This record gives sequence, structure tokens and C-alpha cells, in this order.
Amino acid sequence: MKYKILARQLGLTLLLLGSAQFLLAQFMVSGRVTDTNGEGLPGATIVVVGTQMGTTSDNNGDYKIQVPGTQARLSIFYTGYKTMTVEAVNSSPRVDVVLDDDFAGLNEVVISGLATNVKRANLANAVSSITSSELVGTTVQSSMDGALYGKLTGVNIISNSGAPGGGTTVKLRGITTLNGNSQPLYIVDGVYYDNSSFAANVNFISQAAGQGSNSNQDNPSNRVADLDPEDIDRIEVLKGASAAAIYGSRAAAGVVIVTTKRGSRNGNVGVNFSQSIGFQQQLRKLGVRQWDEAKVEASFGAAQVPNYQQAVQSGKIYNYEDELYGEKGLLSTTRLALNGGSEKFGYFAGITRKSEDGIVKNTGYDKTSVRLNLDSKVFSWADLQMSMNYVTSTADRGFFNNDNTSTTLGVSYVSTPSWANLFPDEKGNYPNNGFAPSNFLQTRDLVTNNEKVNRILGGGIGTFRLWNNERNGLNLIVRGGVDQYTLETRSIFPRELQFQKDGNGTNGASIRSVAVSQGSNIAAFLVHTYTLENNLSFRTQAGITQENLNQDYTNAIATQLIGAQTNLNQAGSIQVNQNRLKQVDKGFFAQEEANFKDIVIATVGIRGDKSSRNGDPNKLYYYPKASVAFNVHEITSLGKSVNQLKFRAAFGQSGNFGPFGATYTPLTPIIIDGGTGSLIGSTLGNTTIGPERQTEIETGLDIGLFDSKVNVEFTYYTKNIKDLILLVNTPNATGFSNAWQNAADLENKGFEIAVDATPVREKHLTWNTRLSFWRNTALISRLDVPAFNLGAFGASLGTYRIEQGQSPTQLVGIDPSPGENGLRVFGNAEPDFQMSFNNAIRYKHVQLNFLFHWKKGGENVNLSTLLSDIFGTSADYDNKGIDPTNTLANGPYRLSQLGVSAQSWVEDAGYLRLRELGLSYDLPSSWFKDKAMFRAGISARNLLNFFKYSSYDPEVSNFGTSAISSNVEVTPFPSAKSFFFTIGASF
Amino acid sequence: MIRRNISKIILPMLLAIGFAACDIEEIEDPNNPSVGAITQNASLSEIQNLVTGIEGGMRLNLSNYYDGVGAIGREIYRFSTSDPRFTSDLLGKGGAILDNNTFYTTNPYIGRYRTVKNANILIEAVEKSTSISSDALRNATKGYANTIKAYQLLLVWVQQYDNGIRIDVANPDNLGPFVGEGDHKAALRAIALLLDEGLTQLNAGGSAFPFRLGSGFTGFDTPDNFAKVNRAIAARVNLYNENWDAALTALSNSFFDLNGDLNTGVFHTYSTAGGDALNPQWYPAGAKGESRVVQPSFVSDAEAGDNRLSKAALRNEVEFQDGLSSNYDLAVYATNASPIPIIRNEELILIYAEANIRLNKPAEAIIALNRIRNAANLPDYTGSNSSGDLIDEMLRQRRYSLFGEGHRWVDMRRYDRLGTLPIDRAGDDVWLKFPRPANED
Repeated sequence: MKYKILARQLGLTLLLLGSAQFLLAQFMVSGRVTDTNGEGLPGATIVVVGTQMGTTSDNNGDYKIQVPGTQARLSIFYTGYKTMTVEAVNSSPRVDVVLDDDFAGLNEVVISGLATNVKRANLANAVSSITSSELVGTTVQSSMDGALYGKLTGVNIISNSGAPGGGTTVKLRGITTLNGNSQPLYIVDGVYYDNSSFAANVNFISQAAGQGSNSNQDNPSNRVADLDPEDIDRIEVLKGASAAAIYGSRAAAGVVIVTTKRGSRNGNVGVNFSQSIGFQQQLRKLGVRQWDEAKVEASFGAAQVPNYQQAVQSGKIYNYEDELYGEKGLLSTTRLALNGGSEKFGYFAGITRKSEDGIVKNTGYDKTSVRLNLDSKVFSWADLQMSMNYVTSTADRGFFNNDNTSTTLGVSYVSTPSWANLFPDEKGNYPNNGFAPSNFLQTRDLVTNNEKVNRILGGGIGTFRLWNNERNGLNLIVRGGVDQYTLETRSIFPRELQFQKDGNGTNGASIRSVAVSQGSNIAAFLVHTYTLENNLSFRTQAGITQENLNQDYTNAIATQLIGAQTNLNQAGSIQVNQNRLKQVDKGFFAQEEANFKDIVIATVGIRGDKSSRNGDPNKLYYYPKASVAFNVHEITSLGKSVNQLKFRAAFGQSGNFGPFGATYTPLTPIIIDGGTGSLIGSTLGNTTIGPERQTEIETGLDIGLFDSKVNVEFTYYTKNIKDLILLVNTPNATGFSNAWQNAADLENKGFEIAVDATPVREKHLTWNTRLSFWRNTALISRLDVPAFNLGAFGASLGTYRIEQGQSPTQLVGIDPSPGENGLRVFGNAEPDFQMSFNNAIRYKHVQLNFLFHWKKGGENVNLSTLLSDIFGTSADYDNKGIDPTNTLANGPYRLSQLGVSAQSWVEDAGYLRLRELGLSYDLPSSWFKDKAMFRAGISARNLLNFFKYSSYDPEVSNFGTSAISSNVEVTPFPSAKSFFFTIGASF
Repeated sequence: MIRRNISKIILPMLLAIGFAACDIEEIEDPNNPSVGAITQNASLSEIQNLVTGIEGGMRLNLSNYYDGVGAIGREIYRFSTSDPRFTSDLLGKGGAILDNNTFYTTNPYIGRYRTVKNANILIEAVEKSTSISSDALRNATKGYANTIKAYQLLLVWVQQYDNGIRIDVANPDNLGPFVGEGDHKAALRAIALLLDEGLTQLNAGGSAFPFRLGSGFTGFDTPDNFAKVNRAIAARVNLYNENWDAALTALSNSFFDLNGDLNTGVFHTYSTAGGDALNPQWYPAGAKGESRVVQPSFVSDAEAGDNRLSKAALRNEVEFQDGLSSNYDLAVYATNASPIPIIRNEELILIYAEANIRLNKPAEAIIALNRIRNAANLPDYTGSNSSGDLIDEMLRQRRYSLFGEGHRWVDMRRYDRLGTLPIDRAGDDVWLKFPRPANED
């Protein structure tokens, strides 16, 4: 009995012992993760190898983790640093880790599938990526797309103007369409992010499109401006179909994948605060023409000479460039972010308040962005992630760009000489401008042109680990999101304006647009990983996707305003226009990756897409992809100096829809005799229209030298787009003037070279540098219709021309010695090449960053100069040097070419810029017992600019983000350079 | 267990739902009615919209049409500071010729075929519409549509002449051939056939249209009455085609009335109401820069006392441009809301006169000519009964009665007298026809 009990007790004890041994055999590892300078790295991920256990380091880089057994291997990951694996034993549980900079980014994880990532070292594409510190680490950025300037190879970014509130054209590896969407697809935390532009329709006043242009030239912003760059953790840019094929029919212009910051689940709370204050000023002043009696008489007639003399005598000669563009706009950005969490729950909250005053009085931009990102490990087998963002912004954008009524600030400014007096009298009444239909000071002071956005973005990702064993892993990932915003524009032209009163206009105009955009997307994927004994592993993924977009735009124009009223009904006449867009896309995709010991990584995949935008909404269009990466260094030694050698090749296809409505043959309203009728429209819809199809083949070579101190990435690609959608002329007897057709092909070719190096890495001094070079050339390889001019303002002033065998961005015009087609080629909007030189130098607590960007070549059509010549106000009007015979001064020479040759208006738009410069000082963390970090810095954007271009800035687009016909300038809102002082603290 | 369930049940379900829901419904154009929908099963109000659309479409680019034929027929000069081609190309100044891709050629052409397209859509719509309750209503609508089509094609023929015109344009991907290339009468025969088809349909069309016609068709807004419009146009077509008997037969079934109001007929209407169009041939008196002035011989050639000279209003200042000048504004239309005639009784009386002259019935012809002369405050015709003299008199009366309505050039061409039109500048040309639009080849 006693023995029995004893035996049972023993058994129980043994049993307990056995389990206790398991329970007891664990220990706490702790330590600190630092960089090579000894600075703590907050938010580093520490994972126990072979388990699912992990944690993150706190604000000072400290971490603690319970590990099983008596010894363990820990892997430490931190974006921008090399991953390190260390041993920990229970006898010495303190493990401090010093991470080396991973300037080459070999270990960073890059999004490669719709639901999966891959280590950069195994990537078969040249996916450009950019981290938070590169994005906003140097200086304050106004917008996300603007912050990408010069930091990525293969990317051509044009700021459409200097107007506050954005408006940027992004082209990845050349142009990919003529009439379709020209801008990349933006995806933020899995949510499709709409990047439309909606017009305020100030064109009603400017009549910029009055002479048949189909672009209203309103200088609208595009809605990616709503993203707060401060929220962004990283951005990946898939530049062509070889990388973006899994995004199918929306990916032809490339994909920009944005991942926002998330909470660290280490039990600590981190607070970051920063405040920037600065100012912006006109980037380049052109100066004003210096007058004398003879010049006044020549340009404005003898009658103006007495006025001029009187103005000189009374000292009333004004520099209107300073008056109009001379403001020093105050810039302020306040940022507060909070993050933290426990093992099961993480949160990140950020708020940014941005206020920017423009260089023109009464212009500016205010934005408030609030973000809340939550992560929860609901069960051991389920993770949920939620992202919420609310943005509200308001932009006063001024009244600029082309017009046909000489009422915009830009056009009326160049029409007005310096002796005109436009200032209001003591009672506040503005005199009429005798030289133009608009007194631009009055216009500036009284006109409102405001754009307001309220945007909510919400997304969620659920990851369910369905099945896990030694060899298999099966995850279900469900992802969805909504993107909803309302954009309101309010443009008020009061009736006392020179161009509104006394029969000169409509006695005031109040123009209001409301655009409501609702997008949603949902997708579900299964990801299966399977590892064989010989280290061959497979990853299979398959999923289905759906995206919806509804947009509703209403524009109302009220004229004959009653007094100072601006309500639409306080008017004698109202016109309303509504335009809606509805789109549903559905698709599936499947992808198979095979990885043999990280030596050979091969991927094949296919996406099938159908969309209501195609002629047949239920026809599936397939977009295949295949790629292979071969890490030579894994199998053979390449000598001491070469530590990495990778060959890679990738192929992929993607699509692009035609313009919305191309499938419809509409009946348009017509009014007669009090009745409303339906009359066939002038464009024949095409019910068989298909997407434009892009095929990209990319090959490349990555070399790591001297323990990855130097990394070279070389990529060559060809990108062919078939079935470009054109509006072609039809026989008029059809009843139609034109029709949509898939009628042309386009080829892009280019190469990209990036060299990353860490020339110096000492305890107190590190220098990282990156030199990038990229070049793209394009040509039209098939054209089913006769060559035609496109965009800009016709051949006499320089225009684009779509012509078989020629570049789609060639700029042609009339000339006395034309080519066979009657026109001469004067240039090409595409740059010859671009280079950038990005540097980060740290000496002890001082950090210096600078980014140079050189765009070589690429021409613009500059009509600002033409307009100021016509009105005799160009600053260089009386200089000489342009006339080849050196007889005429510049102004008269250029005017003599009007109608003769377009050469004078097609100008080299190359530039060299110091895009970003930042100098900051970190107060030693020891001063704050390592509990807090303070940093103070000064920085500047576009501080130095070198260009021959004769106007404000070669980076300009009168036609917004349209595929063809950016690079045209007509008296835009001039660009600015900006300066900042920033202090930041983190606890 | 839970995880097993998920993988075994929920997942396949999820995928199945995903694929089952995979069909995308076709999205109708959210901004405009679409042809596809309206031809499937049009409601009565949609049919009304198409008819109103046809009435509006018939007015499209008429200004370019009347300016073109009026200037070439040397009735008017169209002066424009913003476009010199009205006085260079249209009048053949120096080496200038008519261009095949310029607005004066293409705009009227597109306008007419756009209306033809709308009429074809109307025909397609009534065939399928379940709202049309009887064959009579269906026939009435088709008769209306075919009559309008024929009139639109006739205007195309006026400018294209022996270039030929496309008659069958129902399928934009497979247009019919050019009819009457080198033989302008073949095209007229095809138009006459279309009118006959329309007449048959109108005759089988019962007592009412399933839609309301605009005020330009007052008095002609039932199938019976509209058939009279059809016949009036048929009379013009047969006249042009020198089928004199057929012209008279058509007249007898039209609204021709020798003693009736000269202005009985059908019209394009205009108004100042919001969204409606203004009479595009109207300019305020004394307009400068952009103006329509009368070719001076219209006034100098007139018989004394002709009250039709009111169509040329004396200006305060001479208007001149490009080596041309005139003291008279085109004043056919009193206001910017005056209607423009499609066809009216005055023309029918002149058709009656012409057909009788050509059939050697001078007495009948002279009755008609005197009706016109007396209405213009002129005494009875005193010339001979010879067909040559009567033709001269008939053409003179047509010149003054139908001034500014697009007839003079066609009449001179019919009688091979283009060479007699006045040449105002040395080297000017009188064109036989417009070129075929560039996009047609």
C-alpha cells in the first residue's frame, strides 16, 4: 500500500518532473539592440529561430524574451540593417546585439506577391524600395510622391506646378499609354488608393480649353497628395509588368505599394514628437524688363510714353514679379506619434498637422492627417491587422496656367508692364488694368479658388494559420479595404473684378464642384509552403480579388451673382454638369515559387482579370509572369572581394483600361422648341475594346563587393505595350466623327544602374552613398491610323506627334526646313538620362544628408516666354544672343519666328538640383538617461538649381497628369524652394 | 479541431462563393442614355427623345451649310475676321480651293449623317419597342424617319453632287457604297426611293404618330399630313432629277396650293430659351467683322418694286473684307428666333411652274409665275412663251423668292449656268461641288 502510494507518487512526480522540466527549462534573454554607433534601435524584431516566438525592442533598443530550453538561437531583424543570428545560453542570458547597416538592403523583405514577401537577395526584379528615413529623414516633405524625387531609378516625377496642395506626374520606366491611365496604381496597406484628379472648372473663366483642347488645364491636384509621408514605413515601387503582373489590368503604369508604420509589441510605449518651421520662396526669379521711352513706344505705342514718363517721375515703377511671387510662405509641420503594445496587441497612432503658405498671397495648403493602426493576435492561429486614416485638407491654389481670356494671374502678369498702377486706392477700389482684361492684384486678393478634401481610408488584413507541420504551412489571408473621399472645390469670382463687371464677364461667377469617390477592394489568398528534405522549398499561392470604384462629380456654375452672394441660387444663371464613373473588376491569381537553398529562386504566376471597363465585362484577360534569380555566390566562391553575384530575369504582362466610357455610344442631350431630345454623340463606342497589354522583360545583375560595402545593381528592360487605345477618325457617314480603337503599339527600352557604397564606417564616422543612373527610350512601333499631332497647342508652337517609328514624346513643329511630314523634330520630352547622388554622413551626433538630382536633356514647350514676348515684358527682351545672325534682340527674334518655326519655344528642360539637404544634431541620449532622444536640424528642399531653361522651373505641366503633353508650360504657379528648422523628440 | 473545420469546410465555401459571384454585370453608361439600351426596348418617352433629337440634329451645322452654298452661289459673302477661308476657299480666291478636311466641308456633312444615324436608331428602336402597340404606329414612325433621312441625304447630295453619297449607313462597321459616283442622278433616284418607302409607311401609319412633333411641323404632325411633307420633298427631288411628271404627281399629293400662303410649310425652329439654339443665319443689322452681306448684284439685278428686296437691308456703313464689299446685310430672317424653312409652298409653286415649262405647258407655268410675281408686288409676266424665256423668268423668280435658302447654286448647276454667276475678284472660281470629306476615303 505504502509502496503503491509511493509508486504512484513517484510516477506523478516523474510525470511532473517531465513536464516541469519542459516548463522549467526556459529562461529570459535580455539585451540591447544597437547600431554600430551604439545608438539603441527601437522596434527591432527578435525571433527565436525555429519557433513562432518573438518580440520587439523598446524605444532604447532594449528587449526581453522568454525562450525555451537552455539555449536558443535568436534572429534580430531591423529594417535597413543586416539581419543577425546570435546564440543565447541560460548561463549568460544577456545578449547585446550590434547590427550593421544594410545599405544594400539584401536582407530587407520586399513585397513580391499579392500576399507574400521575399528577401531582397532572392528577388528576381529590380524592385525599388524606400524606407521612412530615406523618405522624410532628410527634410520635411509636402507630399509622398514629391518625396520620391530622385530617390528611385527608373522613375520620372514632374511637379505640375508650384501651387500648394500637390499635383504631380509620376512615370515609371517611360510612358505606357496615350489615352489611358498614365499614373501608377497606389496601394496603401492593401487598400487601392484612388489617385484621380477632379477639376474645379475655373476653365469656365479662363476658357483655356475654349479652342478645342480636351484638357481643361485647371491645374488640379491628384489625390495621392492626401497620403501623409510621415505615416509611411516603406514604399515599394514595381516599375513594370515583370514585377507587377499579379496586379493585372490596373498595373500597366506600375504599382506603388505603401506600407504604413505599425505598433511595436514589446510592452513599451513610444512617443515621437517633431515640429518643423520654415518658409518657401520663389525658386527662380526671372526679373522684369527694364524700360526706356524708346522701348515703351516700340512695344506699347507712343500713347503710352507720357504714362511711362509720369510713372517714372512719380516713382511709380513697380516690380510686379516681387509683388506677385515675392511672398515668403510660412511652412509648419507638427507631428505626434504614439506606438506600443503587448505581445498580443499593437497600436500605432499618428497625427500630422501641416500648414503651408504659398509664394503668392492668399494661396496655401493645410492638412491634418490622423492614423490609427491596430494589430492583434486574436488566437495563436489568427492575426488581425487594421489600418484607419482620416485626412482633411484645404488648398487655396490661386488662378494660373493657360487661358484664352487673359484673366489668370500668370497671363495678366506677363501682359502688364511695370508702369501700370494696379494698387487699390485708399478706399480699397482697384483700378482697371489698361493692359489686360484683369488687374491681377485684384484677382489675387478677391478670387477664391479652394479645394477641400475629406478622406477616410480603412483596411484590414486577417492572417489565419490553418495548418502547420514540419514540412507544410498553409495560411489564409483575407484582405479588404475602403477608400472614400469627398472633394469640394469652390471658385468665386466676385462681380467687382475687372473681368466680371461692366459687361466684361458674367457679373460674377461662383463655381462649385463636388466629387464623391468610393472605392473598395477585397481579396482572399491561400498561401501554402512546402519544404522538402533537400532544402528545396515551394510556396504556392492562389486567390481571388475584387475591386469596385464609384465616382460622382457634379459641377455647378452660377453667374450673374446677386451682390456679394456666393450661394449657387443667388444667381441669375446656373449651369450644372454631372459625370459619374462606375467600375467593377474581378480577378484571380495563382503563383508558384520554388527556392532551392537560396541558390535558384524561380517563380511562375498568372492573373486573370475581367472588368466592366472592357467591351465584354466577363471576358477574362490573362496576365502571366515568370522570373528566376540565380545566386551564383551561394555555390561557388568568387574570390575575397565578391560576396554576392546574382543573375536575374523576369517576364510579365499587365493591362491598362481605356478611358471610362470608351465602350459606350452615348446619346447626348439636345434642346429644341422646349423639348429635350437625345441625339447620337460624336464618338462611336467600341464594345470589343480590350485593355492595352504590356509585356515587360527585365534582366539584371546584382554584385556585392567587399562584404557588401559596395553593391552594384544593373537592370536592362524592354517594355512593349500592345493595343494602345486611340480615338481614331471614322468615316463621317457613320454619323460619328471618331471612335475608340486598339490601334497602336509602343516600345520602351531602358537600363538602370545603382551603386550603393559605404566608403567609411568607423566608430564615429560613417558615410553611405548611392549613385543611380537611369535612361529610357521609347518609340511607336505600330500605328494603324495616319500620324497625328497630340497635345500642347499645335505645330506652330511645338506639339507632340504620334508617328510610327518615332518616340511618342517627340516634340515637333513648323520650320522653314521641315522633314518629309512637313514638320521638324525639335526635341523630346523624355530626358536623355537621369542621375542622382544620395549621401548620408554621420559624425558622432551630427548627421548630414544631401541628394543631388541631375536630369539630362528632355525638352519642354515653354509658352510663358512666348506670352511675355508678345506683350513685350520678357526680362531678356532686349538682350541679344538667340538670333543666329545676331541682328535681332531676343524678344523680337522669338516673335519673328512665330508662324515660321516652333524652335524658339521648345527648350532644353534639363536640370541639376540639390533636391534635399539636411543637417541634424542628436543630443547625446546619455543626457536623458537613455530615456529620451532629442534631435534638432536644419534642412532645405530644392536649395540649389542649375538649368538653362528660361522660365521658372523646367519641372512643369500645364496639362496635369495626362500621359502625353506634360512638359508644356503656360504661365504656371511658379515653383518654390523651402527651408526648415526641425526639432524632434522621442521617449 | 477548429482549424480543421476551417480548412475543410469554410475555405472551399469561401472560394466557391468567390467564383460563383464572379460574373460582372454589364454597367450601363451612368452619364448618358446608350444606343444599346434604347434600341433594345425603348419606352415611349425615349422614342419621343429620339424624335426631338432628330429635330435638333437637323439644325446642326446648318450655318456652315447655308454659308457654303450661299457664298458659292454668289448670294452672300460671309465675312469673318477670325477665319479668312470664307472669302478665300469658298470663293476660290487666287489659288485657293475647297479643302476636304476643313469645317465648311466636314461640318455640314457630319451634321446630316448624325441626324441620319439618329433616324436609323429610331427605326431600330420602334421595331423592338414593346411600348409601340400597333404596326400602324410602327409604320408611322418609320415613315417619319425615312422622310427625314431622305431630306438629310438630299442636303448631302447638294454639296457632294457627283462624288456620290452613301445611302446605306446603318452599320458603322460596314457602310454601304457611294451611290451616284460620276452620275449625280443615281443618288437622287435612291433618295426618291427612300421617300417612296417612307410614303408607303406613312400611308399605313394610321391616324397619329406615337410622338409629338415640334412647332416647326405644325399642321403636318399626323402621318397623313406628314405624307404631304414627304411628297413636297419628293417633288423637289424629282425636279432635280428632271422627272417632270413625277414632280407634278408628287406636288399634287403634297401641301402645294397655288393660291395658298407662300409660307405654308415645315421649318427648323429657334428660340432664345435656355439651351435652345438661335437662328445661325441671323446677324444684327450692321454687324462688323463677323457678318453676312448680300452679293451686290442681287439688288442691282432686281426689278423695280420687288418687295423681296427686303431680304437685303441697307447698311449704314459699307462692310468690306478681303477685296469684297457690300452695302447690304442678309436680312432673310427678322430675328434671332426666326424659323428656317425646310420646304414651303413658295418653292412648290415654283416647282409647279418649272415642271410645266419643261412639259411644254407654258400657260400653267405662267399662272404659277404670276402668282409669285404678284405676291412680290410685281406685275404679271410679259415675256414670251418660249421655254427659254420662261426658264430665265422661272430661275429669276427662284433667285428672289428662295434667296438665302440654299437654292441659287443648285439651280445654276442644274441649268449649267454656274459660269454666269458674278465673279467679284479676278481669279475667283465658282465651284461645282464640295470635295468628299477626307475621312470618307
